[in-house]
Amino acid sequence: MGGHCLWDGTLSPNDFIASADDLTKKWMAINPNLPQWTWIPCQRMDVSCNAEGYLALENMYQLSASEVNAPTDDENYSAEEAPFDNATLIQSYNDDMHIYDFHIVYSFSYQVPVLYFRGYRCDGHPLHLCDIEKDLPPYSSKIRNESKWTFMTQEEHPYLCCPWYTLHPCGTSDWMKLLLGGDLPSKNPDMLHYLSAWLSVVGQTVGLRIPLELHDKSI
Amino acid sequence: MAAESPTSDRKVVVHLRATGDAPILKQAKFKISGNDKFSKVIEFLRRQLHRDTLFVYVNSAFSPNPDELVIDLYNNFGFDGKLVVNYASSMAWG
Repeated sequence: MGGHCLWDGTLSPNDFIASADDLTKKWMAINPNLPQWTWIPCQRMDVSCNAEGYLALENMYQLSASEVNAPTDDENYSAEEAPFDNATLIQSYNDDMHIYDFHIVYSFSYQVPVLYFRGYRCDGHPLHLCDIEKDLPPYSSKIRNESKWTFMTQEEHPYLCCPWYTLHPCGTSDWMKLLLGGDLPSKNPDMLHYLSAWLSVVGQTVGLRIPLELHDKSI
Repeated sequence: MAAESPTSDRKVVVHLRATGDAPILKQAKFKISGNDKFSKVIEFLRRQLHRDTLFVYVNSAFSPNPDELVIDLYNNFGFDGKLVVNYASSMAWG
């Protein structure tokens, strides 16, 4: 790596794999009780490449916005209604849980990671983007609507060949160059932590909370 | 270094650094309550710079979630008695 060359914000396939491994291990150490990142190895077309694959984080449960905002005003509660029933409430709670899958896939054309995600109801019914947007925290909508660097599209998952939502990667190298390239542009960036850094930005856009400890390099 | 405060409201010194072609603030250092969320820093920047979109990050490492407490960020990533927060303008699509 030439120390005097300006880094362009991208990473190589091998760096992606190393960084994915680092993210997986750190996540396990910090969040052992949450769903884990799993490396899914792949074969793409005829190319036999042992090291190609993507990272998957699946079955992240999210209480749907409709449940969170369920009216609790007593005024809306008719005297004719059945008395409060715990069993009924729990059933409704499960029905309104949304499940999210997140995949981190390497883009060979942009040479950056790309986030693919999808959400669905407990009955397996997929969520449309407008439903997903209701689940996201307010700052997430702000970032997506205002930032010129992040916008969502629906694209075919490179390995699973069905439509997933994705954050378009065309701005990624620009802001990664700022984020990791930082103070001394000629300094070699910390590629091992590329994915943690990238995820700290991308996660905010899709409501995926990244624990602070993930960025602590002493861990 | 700030001594233990008698109340739980510990102040954190935040130093805002412009990167890329972002404008430099006249007042780049200020104190904020540690109990405040990072979103307060982001909002301060937006008001000062009259920009809607900013890219805000710490230590050439990550972009903090707006819900993080400033005191947690300082305790883990501060140095020399301050928390350095870098900011850049979101660039237009290239």
